[in-house]
Amino acid sequence: MNAEIITPLPPPARTLILVGNPNVGKSVLFSKLTGKFVIISNYPGTTVEITTGRSVIGGENYAVIDSPGVNELAARTEDARVTCDVLRDHPEATLVQVADAKNLRRALLLTTQLAELKRPMVLVLNMMDELDKVGGHIDVRKLSELIGIPVVPTIATARTGIHLLEKSIAQAAVPERLVARLNSQRPPPTAAANLPCQEEDYQQNVERLARVNEIVLQVYTRVRPRKPTFAQRLGWWATQPLRGTLLLALVLYFTFWFVGLFGAGTLVEFFENAIFSRHISPVAIHLVDAVLPFPHQHKHEASEYKLEIPLLPHRSIELFSSTEQVLSPAYTVDPGAAGGAWTGVLRFVHDFLVGEYGLFTMALSYGFAIVLPIVTTFFLLFSVLEDSGYLSRLAVMVNRIFRAMGLNGKAVLPMVLGLGCDTMATMTTRILETRKERVITTLLLALAVPCSAQLGVLMAMTARVSWVAAVFWVALMVAIAFVVGWLAAKLHGGASSDFVLELPPMRRPELGNVAVKTLARLEWYLKEVIPLFVLGTAILFFFDKLNLLEKITCFGEPIVTGWLGLPRETANAFLIGFLRRDYGAVYLLDAATGPNATLSPHQILVSMVTITLFMPCIATLFMIARELGKRTAAAITVFVFVFAFFVGGLVHHLGRWIGL
Amino acid sequence: MSAPNNYLHCPLCGFEFIRRESACERGCPLGKYCKLVCCPNCHYEFPPELRVISWWRRLFTPSACPKPPRDLFSLTELNEGDHAELVRLTSEKVSRRNTLAVYGLVPGSRLVLQQKRPSFVIRVGETELALEADIARELVVKRIAADATTGAAS
Repeated sequence: MNAEIITPLPPPARTLILVGNPNVGKSVLFSKLTGKFVIISNYPGTTVEITTGRSVIGGENYAVIDSPGVNELAARTEDARVTCDVLRDHPEATLVQVADAKNLRRALLLTTQLAELKRPMVLVLNMMDELDKVGGHIDVRKLSELIGIPVVPTIATARTGIHLLEKSIAQAAVPERLVARLNSQRPPPTAAANLPCQEEDYQQNVERLARVNEIVLQVYTRVRPRKPTFAQRLGWWATQPLRGTLLLALVLYFTFWFVGLFGAGTLVEFFENAIFSRHISPVAIHLVDAVLPFPHQHKHEASEYKLEIPLLPHRSIELFSSTEQVLSPAYTVDPGAAGGAWTGVLRFVHDFLVGEYGLFTMALSYGFAIVLPIVTTFFLLFSVLEDSGYLSRLAVMVNRIFRAMGLNGKAVLPMVLGLGCDTMATMTTRILETRKERVITTLLLALAVPCSAQLGVLMAMTARVSWVAAVFWVALMVAIAFVVGWLAAKLHGGASSDFVLELPPMRRPELGNVAVKTLARLEWYLKEVIPLFVLGTAILFFFDKLNLLEKITCFGEPIVTGWLGLPRETANAFLIGFLRRDYGAVYLLDAATGPNATLSPHQILVSMVTITLFMPCIATLFMIARELGKRTAAAITVFVFVFAFFVGGLVHHLGRWIGL
Repeated sequence: MSAPNNYLHCPLCGFEFIRRESACERGCPLGKYCKLVCCPNCHYEFPPELRVISWWRRLFTPSACPKPPRDLFSLTELNEGDHAELVRLTSEKVSRRNTLAVYGLVPGSRLVLQQKRPSFVIRVGETELALEADIARELVVKRIAADATTGAAS
């Protein structure tokens, strides 16, 4: 989170900063240098992750910082600003520039910029194996002579050259020759917010590249390229119109299966019904009852648990199922018991901890049993896709479609993730470059992308309406996403980012690296998101205690019955649904498909449209406020609620008018 | 009949002239009854075209002189698999030019156009870059032979 947490141990004598272009294997090299003890944290005031670790090199204690990948040393993007800040905050640090050996030209461009900082440096040529595969050769000794610093060839994934690197760190030198050759007086990078790019900067880069080309000509030779590898071919296919689309469909389906069905289905079922409701909640209830005794009896309820392997939505292979009677948070107060003030206090605390809207029984079971499995599966898959190099190709495929919504291809991930959990998806809008894109994506997520809990219920509801209505519902949501996205892009100030995206080579992700990334992100999730669930539940609890829930329901009733033409009980469902999505959704489902179904197909369609457009849950609202600020969150919320009711009513009235 | 200052086109030498510049001999006995005109350039005598026909010809015949061969193209005009050298970046936005520069794409860099749809993908050295059509349009390139990019200077 902040600097204090990054260095809680006695400060090490020296600092190493790993710098380099994106996708050069910095993080793999970092993990080989530092071992297991790493801290991934957001750089103060930003959403950029930096990783800090410790290492003992040559008997000396080093702090090792892995900076975000940059292409040039100018604070133009958030990533680059963090890197510049890290460099400025550690003026005594030794720099280890990690380079992709295949891409010497771009690496040296960065070297010339780093040289102007006049810090001791080591250049690491990583991924030498891949250089060999493409048929290239670098004269390492000559390169070292030309730029005047140690140059170490490595293959970080195979630990080759790490030892040599550790030895070379002691010989790190200031690349004086590069500075002299360039002969430019460049002020050190500053932390000033997004510096506009000057013509001068561009000219300097052109000049640097000319120098770099001279060096490259002397040290780099390339024999005839060998036959493209399978990974290379896969990389090319992934961006072609036909094959790319097939691959995209495959990846999206797998994502949906792994996160939406396996994570949100099988795992959530396991954690919620087999772990929380059978073991953790009863134990918590017993404990609290023992500590805070007041005369009451907890009810028992049936807990069903099915272990299933999902194939398609609603199709799965059942492996195991069981039903058990478990202690439920609902209770009855013993009749005739004295209701003194002390009992009242005890009861209040009891309810806060294990009541219907209690800390253990609701907030933690929600955060750990329902959202954590979804988040874990997503982070795992995300890390795999990220390390394999497919993410950028995915963005290339969908760029045009997303342009119509005022976004660019990079927004595809949050949108897909939104089908799992909108709160999570809102958090991952951080990967987008400009605030404008983050705002639009967040808005579309809150508005038109139903999360897995909603989706499950909506799927069940579509079974009760005609297929025309179901198709109409899907088409309406897609159309709304495009129209609202397009309008928002027109109305929101600020530029969209240029779509210039480097396609890293496709490669097999390294398991250790994926695991470290996933664990670090999960840790961050536990620290940042779980408190939101606790806060949301606490609000719900106080609303319930103060009987505000019913009052708000009464207030919303005229809109629900008059404008939407739904029975008055559904007002409650909308409200509860916002505070905790599965309750509200199940309530509506009951009214739509239960034994005493009260809703007509027309009313089902209206409620489907309205709850899809509704903001998914209160945790999403908090997340929007955290990511984009309170004002934007308020604006989005007001818009989403008004728009949901407006469109729902429109469907109701138009449907009745046409006579559906 | 064509008017005195009608443009005429000599079918023999291609010279274009105005009707009243016709190089008729002064003492020609036919005088104003002669329907022919004489090219002031080559003295070829021919009947002038009807105005309607000349309009038609001007409207629909392709221009006589072929376009000069071009060696500069926008990246969007190249075919997939073409090798090219970047000549100029026409972008007004220096930030956009700089973004490309840090990927090694400056005038003089050599690139291969790998694909055009759904987005442009080019290879500069070992870097594969995806670009939007808007940006690709601003890259002015000249075609080069395929093996030139495999050298070290690519």
